[in-house]
Amino acid sequence: MAIIELSDVTMTYGRGPAAPPGDAQRRAARKDERRAALREVSVAVEEGAFAVLMGPSGAGKSTLLKLVLAMERPDEGTIRVAGRDIHRLRRSSIPYLRRNVGAVFQDFKLLSDASPLENVALALQVLGMPPGEVRRRAASALSQVELDPDAHRPARCLSGGEQQRVAIARALAGEPAILLADEPTGNLDPRLTREILDLLARVRERGTTVLLATHDPLVLDHPALTQQIHLEHGRLVSLHQATRAYGRCEDEDGIPAILPAAWPEPAGAVA
Amino acid sequence: MDRSTMSHSLMSRFRPLFSLGYVVSRGLRGMAQAPVVQLLAVSTMAVCMLLLGVVMLVWSNAQGIVHAWGLDVPVTVYLVDHAEPAAVDLMVERIGALPEVTRVERVSSEQALERLAEGLGEDGALVEGLDPAVLPPSLEIELAPGIDPDFGHVLAEGLAEQPMVEEVAVAGAWAGRAHDLLRTLEDLALGAGLLVSLACMAIVWSTIRLGVYARRAELQILRLVGGTDRFVHGPFVFEGMVQGALGAGLALGILWVGFDAAAPFLERGLSLLFAGGALRFFSPQELAIGVALGAGLGLLGARAAVGRYAEV
Repeated sequence: MAIIELSDVTMTYGRGPAAPPGDAQRRAARKDERRAALREVSVAVEEGAFAVLMGPSGAGKSTLLKLVLAMERPDEGTIRVAGRDIHRLRRSSIPYLRRNVGAVFQDFKLLSDASPLENVALALQVLGMPPGEVRRRAASALSQVELDPDAHRPARCLSGGEQQRVAIARALAGEPAILLADEPTGNLDPRLTREILDLLARVRERGTTVLLATHDPLVLDHPALTQQIHLEHGRLVSLHQATRAYGRCEDEDGIPAILPAAWPEPAGAVA
Repeated sequence: MDRSTMSHSLMSRFRPLFSLGYVVSRGLRGMAQAPVVQLLAVSTMAVCMLLLGVVMLVWSNAQGIVHAWGLDVPVTVYLVDHAEPAAVDLMVERIGALPEVTRVERVSSEQALERLAEGLGEDGALVEGLDPAVLPPSLEIELAPGIDPDFGHVLAEGLAEQPMVEEVAVAGAWAGRAHDLLRTLEDLALGAGLLVSLACMAIVWSTIRLGVYARRAELQILRLVGGTDRFVHGPFVFEGMVQGALGAGLALGILWVGFDAAAPFLERGLSLLFAGGALRFFSPQELAIGVALGAGLGLLGARAAVGRYAEV
């Protein structure tokens, strides 16, 4: 069952939902198309998957993650998370969606003056947990990412890899069903990249669906990947499904069924 | 029910309490992070609230003085000694039934003497031991606001003909002027209240806005990890409420010190005008309302400041 499902999603920054383009609007629509961050993207991520969203800078990876987190609204199309069209949610319901979708950002988004424990605790305080439970679970989340829960150094004094681990621990502390990670290995060396990927693979083993956005080809070598989604210039260029868990990703009948039948095979698609 | 289910159910029940705990502790921590800003905000608010407090105190005491002088009772009927109680009761009933009359109160000789002693303030001891019979019993008649000014005189003429009535006194034009003065003070208090409310909200708004700006990264993170509006805005709203309550409390404290120092001098002057003992400070309930008003203004200012800021 798909836990994240995008259908014909188009997203353009700096403009509202598009009107149906008539003859008079054709030129304007063409111009908009050039600026679109995502164009008619349809993709599904299965529950329990370890999916990677590949593509160069500006491909629309971060935009896709932002849409899943309801940080942005699509101009067209629908986005379903666990079967619910999230952009039909009321504004007041969005926090509850985000409690079930943990997110790790490339810039970590940590409180720089707070300790790792305080950073992780924030995600649990939001849930209204008692202070003792917050401390216990935050410490446990930090232990899972192999960080010392008793370290009092502020986040700004941690290395990039440590900060990334704190961000992952914070995303996982509330035990979300989905973990989104935007370039979590962007600033890390190959050894740390491998460590973070192993960590995400362990997270996925515990039943959390992981969707990782990256432009780093090293990530594709990880054996735990179950799905590869390639974006370029806001378009879905290919989708690969692993034939078995922990196996290499392979093509699924060339063009997967989720893509429109008339979709042209893009040049340079990753096979 | 197993232990984990029980603890989960307990946790769910107390969730709002734990969130409130976070809101309070984060709000206090936020205040401690910028003590100078807080001090400035609270003291500026206190100055504003002090202005309002002075106007309210003058208004409230002016009412007391008007009452002490009997200006709020335009018609006073002095009864003859040993007036027949049944006849007086009947007269009270008839006067009270008039649509122009809002209140008729019987004042015995003893009550009249007590009032005189109060009006003399510190010199009240002078009337100690005096026979109450020297002051006649009376009826105080309060008229409905806005009625024809001549009605008091017409009523007085009618009552003066009654056998148990010795004399009828009608407050003159200066009573009307005193009422006008009171109304002006009331309008002033209302205007000052409005201005001070706006000023207090503006002070809290700007302080909270600074805090929101300084902590915008934290707000964004809270939003991204699933913080609701109430959770994200709560510490700022709490901070605004504390600022408002502290500002009002400080203003009332200063006002009390000032009142305590000035009251003996004012009382002495008023006792010469038979209005001694009329001065009073705010009651505990009024003080509580004042602090609550400050907190309320702080809440409104803070709510306006956070708005939908840092929404993602």
